[in-house]
Amino acid sequence: MRQLLALGMVLISLGLGSELSYGQRDPNARCLLECHGTSDFKREVAPGQFKSLYVDYEQFKTSVHKDKLCIDCHTDVTAIPHQRRPEQIHCLQCHYQGNVVGAPVSERPEKYKESVHGKAFARGDPNAPDCKHCHTVHSVRAPTDPLSPVYRANIPKTCGSCHIEIYTEYLESVHGQALRNNILESAVCSDCHREHDLFPPDDPRSSLHPQNVANTCARCHADVKIMERRGVPVKQVEAFKKSFHGIAIEFEVLKSANCVSCHGYHKILSSRDPRSPIYPLNLANTCGQCHPNASENVARGRFHIIPSDPGAGIVFWVYEFYRWLTIVMTAGFIFYIVLDLYGRWRHARRGSHG
Amino acid sequence: MAKEQIKELSEERTIERINLQLRAQHFALMVSVTLLILTGLALLYRESALGRLLIALEGGFEARGTIHRVAAGLLMATAFYHLLYILFSRQGHEEFMQMLLTPQDFKDYAATVLYDLGVRAHKPQCARYSYREKFQYWAFAFFVIVMIISGFILWFHDWFFGILPKWAFDVAIAVHSGTGTLLLIVLTLWHLYLVHLRPGRFPIDWSFWDGKISEKQLYEEHPLEYQQLKEKGIL
Repeated sequence: MRQLLALGMVLISLGLGSELSYGQRDPNARCLLECHGTSDFKREVAPGQFKSLYVDYEQFKTSVHKDKLCIDCHTDVTAIPHQRRPEQIHCLQCHYQGNVVGAPVSERPEKYKESVHGKAFARGDPNAPDCKHCHTVHSVRAPTDPLSPVYRANIPKTCGSCHIEIYTEYLESVHGQALRNNILESAVCSDCHREHDLFPPDDPRSSLHPQNVANTCARCHADVKIMERRGVPVKQVEAFKKSFHGIAIEFEVLKSANCVSCHGYHKILSSRDPRSPIYPLNLANTCGQCHPNASENVARGRFHIIPSDPGAGIVFWVYEFYRWLTIVMTAGFIFYIVLDLYGRWRHARRGSHG
Repeated sequence: MAKEQIKELSEERTIERINLQLRAQHFALMVSVTLLILTGLALLYRESALGRLLIALEGGFEARGTIHRVAAGLLMATAFYHLLYILFSRQGHEEFMQMLLTPQDFKDYAATVLYDLGVRAHKPQCARYSYREKFQYWAFAFFVIVMIISGFILWFHDWFFGILPKWAFDVAIAVHSGTGTLLLIVLTLWHLYLVHLRPGRFPIDWSFWDGKISEKQLYEEHPLEYQQLKEKGIL
């Protein structure tokens, strides 16, 4: 009896739900009533193969587009029911710079076309993602919505649905671990790779071009507030830029090491983790990628030092010694010159009595 | 010597005081150190307009490094040649022995300070190499040794990686840039002032090129050497 009651309630709520999801006065009702609101509405794309044409309107009504009409996007549908199959639509038909309908463009969605994904899609690569692969089709939610696939905490999983191996590597990294511990300010894919302007690393426009890597990491790792909260040193990027490698990179010697050369990228681990390339015992190997003679000697010293900072240890003292020596000697020479000129002036005035 | 006689000393009549050997060594040193300082400063001040200008003039970042290393090669060759010269050439050895510091040099320096201040009435009597030349020679010798050692470590870092700890390279960078800056100050405020910029020498003293000094200048600055040459009958 109880089971029957439960079943009845489910049926009633389902019926109510479908009744509530769109009323007769909803302008989209015509699309849904007869056709797209029916869950088994489908089209045979090949013999025996069907494509669902069902639109979950309840989902749609929770999306950012809830106030839009179907025909706002499917603009070529001029009569309902439509006679021809509507053309593929593209988000950029609204989300372009300067659009008048108020479609947000803060993340520059038009750059997608130039990106690795956009180019592969344009080539006809069946695996290349289009907007809908990350944003979904009818249930697009804002990036701030925890149910959105592009919500920070969901981004790795979204990217990982195609990049599975990288996803598993990322989950092991300090960034992935932090994210799993609900630290949302930890780096997710798009923090380094960007969202729409995602270029291959050899493209100078890429956030991961050798000359841009340090600045990309600096977006968080030079942020005093974030690094203090996480207990991570904050001057590493600044020190890198002053270092031999950083200077070489700045002057387009691209073979020089940047952050990822030593730290890795998807699977970045703490220097205390024995699996990390910057674990002291692994440094000889890591440096050895470029410097064949590297031995355990490379671990003997401090990394990411700023000479003028006491944290630099002996280098700081050498730096201070030279600073003061330079000041004292400059003052000494100026004194010497003034004395010499004074002596000459004095003896010239009194006549030469050599 | 009486005052009248000094006035008779010719400013026209000159004597070759610095031989061709020393002039050639000095010239190689001058060229290499100038190039090293210009290319080194470019790197040290890469973020300033001066640094950017120097890098552009030197043909870009990597060309700058190449010029620096070529000049370093010239400097090391000069230093090595100089070492052979003072060890195995009688002439070079004699010059070097006169360069050795003695307590008298420090007394001479103190006496000069007192003379300039007007405490003493007489200038100290200096020989062929006065405290001025000696102090500069030894300062440069020390600086060049420091620069060659630290520069060598940085140039051949891949080889030294097997021997030296990481901090030694960081120290080498600090020493190389610190000594380089110091060298620039010593060269401009001390050496250039003494030989070219001070009253009586300005704007340029050509003795670095022809090695010649006038009798008058020789008498005023190196009275003991003047007397010695007079006794030998060379003057």
